[in-house]
Amino acid sequence: MSKTTGNGSSGSPVRRWFRVQRSVTRAPSWRNYSFLLFMVLLAEVGVGIFVLRDLRQSYVQVQKMYEGSVRGLRRIGELQYEAQETRRSTLYALTTNDGNLQVNYADQSREADRLVTQGIAEYLAQAQLPQERSVGDRLTNDWKSYLKIRDEVLGLILEGSPKEAVDLDLAAGVPLFEEVRQDLEEIKRLYDDRASQRLSVVAGFFRRSVAKLLAAFGFGLLFASIALWAIQSSKVRGAVQLANLQMDFVAAVSHELRTPITAILSAGENVRDGLVQGRPALHEQGSIIAGQAGQLMELVDQVLQFAATTKGKPWHAEKAINVHGLIDHSLRNTAAVLQEEGFTVEQIMDPTLPAIVGDPSVLSQCLQNLIGNAVKYSAGSRWIGITAHVEWDRDKTYELQISVRDRGVGIGEGDLPHVFDPFYRSPQVVAAQIRGTGLGLSIAKRSAEACGGRLTVTSELGKGSTFTLHLPIPEPAGAELTAAHMTSIGDRS
Amino acid sequence: MMRMRSRQLRMVRIVLLGSLILLAFRFSPSADATVGTGERRGSPEQSLAIVVNRANPVDNLSFSELRKIFLGRRSHWPTGRRIAVAMLDYGQPERETVLERIYQMDENGYRNYFLRGMFRGDVFMSPKTLASPTIVRKFVFNAPGAIGYLRATDVDDSVKVLRIDGHLPLDKDYVLQIDAGR
Repeated sequence: MSKTTGNGSSGSPVRRWFRVQRSVTRAPSWRNYSFLLFMVLLAEVGVGIFVLRDLRQSYVQVQKMYEGSVRGLRRIGELQYEAQETRRSTLYALTTNDGNLQVNYADQSREADRLVTQGIAEYLAQAQLPQERSVGDRLTNDWKSYLKIRDEVLGLILEGSPKEAVDLDLAAGVPLFEEVRQDLEEIKRLYDDRASQRLSVVAGFFRRSVAKLLAAFGFGLLFASIALWAIQSSKVRGAVQLANLQMDFVAAVSHELRTPITAILSAGENVRDGLVQGRPALHEQGSIIAGQAGQLMELVDQVLQFAATTKGKPWHAEKAINVHGLIDHSLRNTAAVLQEEGFTVEQIMDPTLPAIVGDPSVLSQCLQNLIGNAVKYSAGSRWIGITAHVEWDRDKTYELQISVRDRGVGIGEGDLPHVFDPFYRSPQVVAAQIRGTGLGLSIAKRSAEACGGRLTVTSELGKGSTFTLHLPIPEPAGAELTAAHMTSIGDRS
Repeated sequence: MMRMRSRQLRMVRIVLLGSLILLAFRFSPSADATVGTGERRGSPEQSLAIVVNRANPVDNLSFSELRKIFLGRRSHWPTGRRIAVAMLDYGQPERETVLERIYQMDENGYRNYFLRGMFRGDVFMSPKTLASPTIVRKFVFNAPGAIGYLRATDVDDSVKVLRIDGHLPLDKDYVLQIDAGR
């Protein structure tokens, strides 16, 4: 035997309408698609960061290329010019017999040679690779050797021995200067090689960046198109479903309303047409009218209450609540039913329960629904147990648990996942003609959630059910309890 | 009497010995190549230094050797290096001093001497005429066989100052002094 709540079948149009309405108003599907869009955006940002990193590395490489290779090449170009100037000025001194001009040319040659020597020293200071240091050392030695010859040639020119100067320059100056020239070319080639390597690295970064960008834009466009299409079709589908089920809802509610109205109408017609004679018969027809009207009222109240919870608006006012008072209030409001049916209510309450925060009317309605549910499915046991205590919960904090237990029909394993669905009623309950709207537990669950809590159920078919309302304990009581608990655990360990 | 005479002789010997010591000290070679030693006479502005390339091993020349070199009658240094004489341009006091003291000629005599000498082959090379003391200094610095002259105040470490007859420009008996009127 299973335990159910509410009236109407599991596949009723009303229940389906509420499901769809919830899906449309909360729009979970296109929220999912929005999440997909968000993920696409995140992926784009991620790829963008990678591309930016690539660009930054490219910039660093280009900067290194400029500082190392381009500037180095320019410097070597200057060295080549100054080396030529050293030699050129020396040879210019040969072209004149004017001692003043010869001295000027010698000065120019020495100034150029000073710049070359300084440039070679700078190159050696910056050289990192063994090959660079090797060619730098070789250039230093070759340049010194050439300068010795240059000095000798200058001396000969100034001393008035141009022929000897030319002979010496041809014999030693020219080959030594050629060595210097080749050394400078070698350095230039090294700079060229380094620049080429860095250029290829930059080209690699560029290719990778372009590929990443294209891939990112391509996938982004694809996923965004899919997500937009899905959102759009979901909205359209939802709107169509909503429109269809609005009609179903109207029809279903009309059906639910029609049964009691029909009963009231026929009872009224019986009385009007004089078919009912005598006080007992009149009492019977009056009871039918009152009972059906009450059922009608209950249906309307619950639909309105459920609609209010479905809108998702703040429909409760929070304040501190004494738990004992809350339970007493709920029992007072259900006392008439409990006394009429002859129920025994057993309460096991912790006397030191902390106050909680929530809407008293909402939580009281929640407990009343649970008590009413226990009464409805007690199956003649006439017993309800209510317990309230503080429990160490799964979130490593303390919470208040109020349980309403019955020894009734219980709920089948297959029905347990659906007992909180609006308008859900198990086929067995429908067959047993147990009256109800199928909204009570759904409203109770939403009420618990509205106050920051939750509602759980454990049940065994034929043995009864326990509905437990879990509510958070506000600060500072909750923190103090948690701290005390942690201390006790520490003491035990 | 005999005793008095021997005492007088001893006194004369002492005086002579002292004079010899003073003379020896006066003519001893100087350790300072630039400034000179002994009693000073000329001022740096008026002393004319004979300068050669620092690589030249010659430190001292007699005045007659110096004259031969400047007259172009000696062509090479002992090292085999060709001698190149640097003269300052016309009209400069240093040049006039050199013409007067070394060449012992005037400008015309100097010009004629080298024209004739080069023509006859008596002179191996005529001096280079340079515009300023700075150029002379650079010329001497650049040419290992060069010799020239500068005021002592124009001398720096790039050239070497020669002793003439053992004297440096600031020494008392140094012969190359520019007349105060020039």
